[in-house]
Amino acid sequence: MLALNSMREFRTRPLRTLLTLAGVAVTTAMLADMLMLGRGITQSFGELLESRGYELRLTPRGTLPFDTEATVPGFATLRDSVASVAGVERVAPVLAASVTVEAADDARPSVEALALGMDSGDQGLYRLTEGEMPRPGEVLTDAEVGDSLGAEPGSVVRLRPAGASGAWGRRATAQVSGVGEFAFASRGDLQVVLRLDDLQALSSQDDQVSFAMIRIGEGSDPDSVRAAILARIDRVEIVTLAGISERLDARLSYFRQTALILATVSLVVATLLVGTLTAVSVSERLGLIAALRAIGLSRRWIVGGLAAESMVLCAIGGGIGVALSVAVAGYLESILSDFPGLPVAVRFFVVSADSLVTAFALLLVAGTAAGLIPALNATRLEVASILHKEAP
Amino acid sequence: MSEIVVAARDLTRDYRTGRARVRALRGVSINVPRGDFLAVTGPSGSGKSTLLHLLGGVDTPTSGEVVFLGRNLARMSVEERAALRLNQVGLVFQRFHLLPMLTALENVELPLAAARVPRGRRRARAAAVLDRVALADRLHHGPGELSGGQCQRVAIARALANEPALVLADEPTGELDRATSREVLALFQSLNAEGTTVVVATHDLELAAGAKRSIEVVDGRTAP
Repeated sequence: MLALNSMREFRTRPLRTLLTLAGVAVTTAMLADMLMLGRGITQSFGELLESRGYELRLTPRGTLPFDTEATVPGFATLRDSVASVAGVERVAPVLAASVTVEAADDARPSVEALALGMDSGDQGLYRLTEGEMPRPGEVLTDAEVGDSLGAEPGSVVRLRPAGASGAWGRRATAQVSGVGEFAFASRGDLQVVLRLDDLQALSSQDDQVSFAMIRIGEGSDPDSVRAAILARIDRVEIVTLAGISERLDARLSYFRQTALILATVSLVVATLLVGTLTAVSVSERLGLIAALRAIGLSRRWIVGGLAAESMVLCAIGGGIGVALSVAVAGYLESILSDFPGLPVAVRFFVVSADSLVTAFALLLVAGTAAGLIPALNATRLEVASILHKEAP
Repeated sequence: MSEIVVAARDLTRDYRTGRARVRALRGVSINVPRGDFLAVTGPSGSGKSTLLHLLGGVDTPTSGEVVFLGRNLARMSVEERAALRLNQVGLVFQRFHLLPMLTALENVELPLAAARVPRGRRRARAAAVLDRVALADRLHHGPGELSGGQCQRVAIARALANEPALVLADEPTGELDRATSREVLALFQSLNAEGTTVVVATHDLELAAGAKRSIEVVDGRTAP
């Protein structure tokens, strides 16, 4: 009934109640967003990797795919060794190299793009949206390259290694076979796909690959297959998707630490806010609390009533905050999606029930606990002394 | 001989105000038998409220003892004394101390709820007690919608809710006008006539005169 009284009192002090709810909502939103930020990149990158359908990556030692310009030489032999390992179903090599792409009629300025040399049918890195997969002597572009050059399926473009002089060394003329979307492209990155042999020849990297994607058979364990490959070949790195996520996680640890600090600050602010409000509320009602103690209400009863007041404030403010956090996460995501070097598909904020529930529960527990302290203090005061002071 | 509801023996109570020690009560002894209506009079600061708080177990004496229905309050814990007050003592304050956002009915239900009386029974009991203090038509009014006299009657109803052995009222007419004070006195007399034991601390001579007997406290001592 004390809680009922408190709930009704909220209505008599609308400004104070609204300000408190706003404070709790904002801090909850920040807390939830920081929890989402702390987990978002790793989670969404992990989901992106898993969506490609290749469980292992073969890379030069100490690197990750798209990490450096290092390559694995002598891949043809290596490929056969890897493919013969039990559990390996498919090996999809990728060579990445920067190229300059020009329209054949020189009508528009050339563009710099990342070229991916891949075998036909391996779409672990891109998705065909128009036209056909590239055959030998053909190139598949992303929509931006096509727009920049005015090229479409059937058009002819010229390619050369990026940085090569106007008097071209190696160069190639290729027909645009189709248009695709690239899963790991950052915003503003232009990408094209050639057949692996074509790009190796263009970039003078015969029998070299940047990395290879390895698909394992159903029921095979990625760690076991990885160990089996490494037992046979020790000059490369074999990384599971979990391993890639772990390394990314380690590289982004500063993000998580910053998010953790900000989340903690949010929680502390919310705790102080609710604690202060309850302390003010309790001090305004000391006489009433003393009178209730005098008529025989137990300490637990009164503390419970006052704690319920804090809990309700936290529950309402926290609920608003959770909704707010989703909106704020969407806004921040739109800003951070331009972050250089990260695939567009990777999100900083992954809205998950887990994060929202965690933020709400943390806020509820911390806020209620903050309300308990002044409530407990109030019931420890000497009832008779307060009644004496309250007497006119 | 009537049963003694509460007996105070040689009570003293010291308070510390800053560095000074103030003796509010100096060796007070009284017996309150069942059915008594006792007025404790005296000027402000004489120790009336302190005596009431000690009799009800709200406060503990510096020395001396209070025996309530045969139980020495000094041997009870804080929460045991709270439970005793909840079930055996009805307290009425000068400033009513009603929960401002609860209705009269809900305010009277409060001690019943704390005593874990089931909702249906406590509703009925609270309504009956409010009817007893002539507020049956104000059950759903909040303190803000009631006059001072009505608020005090709600407070008296709250004190009576758990059918206490003793009602302690500290300056119950202190905030009321003369006419309303008389209504409150009449209510106490009526309750006492029905068997309720009442002790009232007051400097209202008319209220004191309406009690069965009175004692005067001056400078922490009962006047001869």
